[in-house]
Amino acid sequence: MFSICKKDLKLFFGDKRAVMLTFLLPIAMVTLFTFAFSGNGNSEEDVNVGLIHAVSGNSILMLLFSMSAIGAGILEEKEKGTLKKLLISPLPAFHILYGKMLTGFVVSILQLTILFLFAWLVFGLQILPHITSLLIMIITVGFACTSFGILLASVVKSRAQVQGLSTILILLMSALGGSMIPLFVMPEIMQKMAVVTINYWGIQGFYDIFWKQLPIADILMRAGVLLGIGFVISGVSIYFFNKNVLKLI
Amino acid sequence: MLSIKSLHKSFGTLQALKGINLQIKEGELYGLLGPNGAGKTTFINILSTLIKPDNGEVLLDGLNPVTQREECKKIIGVVPQEIALYDDLSALDNLMFWGGLYNIKPIFLKEKINSTLELLGLYNRKNEKIKTFSGGMKRRINIATALLHLPKILFLDEPTVGIDPQSRNLIYEVIKKLNKEGMTIIYTTHYLKEAENLCERISILDRGAIIIEGTLDELRKSTSAEDTITIRLSEPPEQDIINSLRACYNFPISITNSIIIFTVPNASKELASIISKMSETGLDIIQIEINKSNLESIFLKLTGMELRD
Repeated sequence: MFSICKKDLKLFFGDKRAVMLTFLLPIAMVTLFTFAFSGNGNSEEDVNVGLIHAVSGNSILMLLFSMSAIGAGILEEKEKGTLKKLLISPLPAFHILYGKMLTGFVVSILQLTILFLFAWLVFGLQILPHITSLLIMIITVGFACTSFGILLASVVKSRAQVQGLSTILILLMSALGGSMIPLFVMPEIMQKMAVVTINYWGIQGFYDIFWKQLPIADILMRAGVLLGIGFVISGVSIYFFNKNVLKLI
Repeated sequence: MLSIKSLHKSFGTLQALKGINLQIKEGELYGLLGPNGAGKTTFINILSTLIKPDNGEVLLDGLNPVTQREECKKIIGVVPQEIALYDDLSALDNLMFWGGLYNIKPIFLKEKINSTLELLGLYNRKNEKIKTFSGGMKRRINIATALLHLPKILFLDEPTVGIDPQSRNLIYEVIKKLNKEGMTIIYTTHYLKEAENLCERISILDRGAIIIEGTLDELRKSTSAEDTITIRLSEPPEQDIINSLRACYNFPISITNSIIIFTVPNASKELASIISKMSETGLDIIQIEINKSNLESIFLKLTGMELRD
């Protein structure tokens, strides 16, 4: 599992395009949306809410795209024949999946950490007083998004299908979950529907930390839901990995 | 070393393997020959623990690949048809990764990688990315990844497809060397010359069944495959000479102008007698050509068709 992760991270950081898309594009998006959401604010609180929304909403949206690309790595292994060779090696089959998940998890932690550090250093988002809560949310959001990426790769048959399906699903989830437009300006029915998305639980968790400034105990509830989502999706991914990915050898 | 009894495998209605029986001795270089779709890759996939047979028994050095999968994986090395490498990693990183999966201590692994790269003539390119390599060099690294854990049995599934003659010859040399050192090698190919030149014993697999098995000489004998001796004369022979030649030999002789073709069971044995007889009759020989029966002719004789690419 660790050797798969080590190899994948080496490949990931050797790919300049992937690094740019994972780290620089989200920074650009956060910057753009921060100006868009907080530019017309009349009070300091409005400006701050705009910043919090831009960072949390965009970070989860971009993370979902990054994780679907990493998940698609499983299908790349299959297309190139390396998956077959991995299955012949003494490595247990599920370690291949866990290795990919670990890679996604490491990259997601890095991506979210860099984004929040950027928001702190450039826009003055107060992360230091809430560092523990923030770390809990980063870890659980990262886990849930990684599971989503792995699920996508496990249910489809080719990388092209991952690209098509991920774009549709991520944009839908992000629109519904409040990544694009803040949920509090949406109708009540939309707010209720949003609970089925990873975006919703992540964004609400970041609101709780930076806007509502709730204690860790309250953050743990949101984090628990994200962990639950992550475990359920991972379980489903393992089932489909066995059914679709391994069976096609 | 390898014992295969009544091996069956079907995919839906397609019978990929129809009761294969095979015994391969330790240290043997065994050729599995057949056209595309004959069942070679299915056979290798079963032996390399990737898929389970429907019926039959397989033992690899006494281990069953279905019930003792993990133990089997440690003693086999598999070179698949595909070049299964990471293009954006260097040759060294690829080998460190693939070798690392076998829990070899890093210090031993590095030594083994260096010696394997030396053997395959790629030591000086070890830090270059695979994507900069030629097809032949990639094939050589593909082979190297299967050798690092010193497998007892090596499966090579068409390892020379689409490569330059230089790389192909080097791969042949490496295979011969590994076999000489005691490694049991099962080599699948649809290149007949390869099987003829490399393998001690050969099986011909067609449509999921072994249609013949043995050494090349045994295959020749059992199929009564024949050699041809073609003799070109300075001028066409006269009819009475032709009659005397036909009377001397009980094998087919065809004569077209100044070319005489003798179809014989064994060219080496008959050649001297034919030349001597022709000299006695005063015929002026200007060219002699011998065509030994080969796997191509054996395959043609057995299946009634040429080996399909």
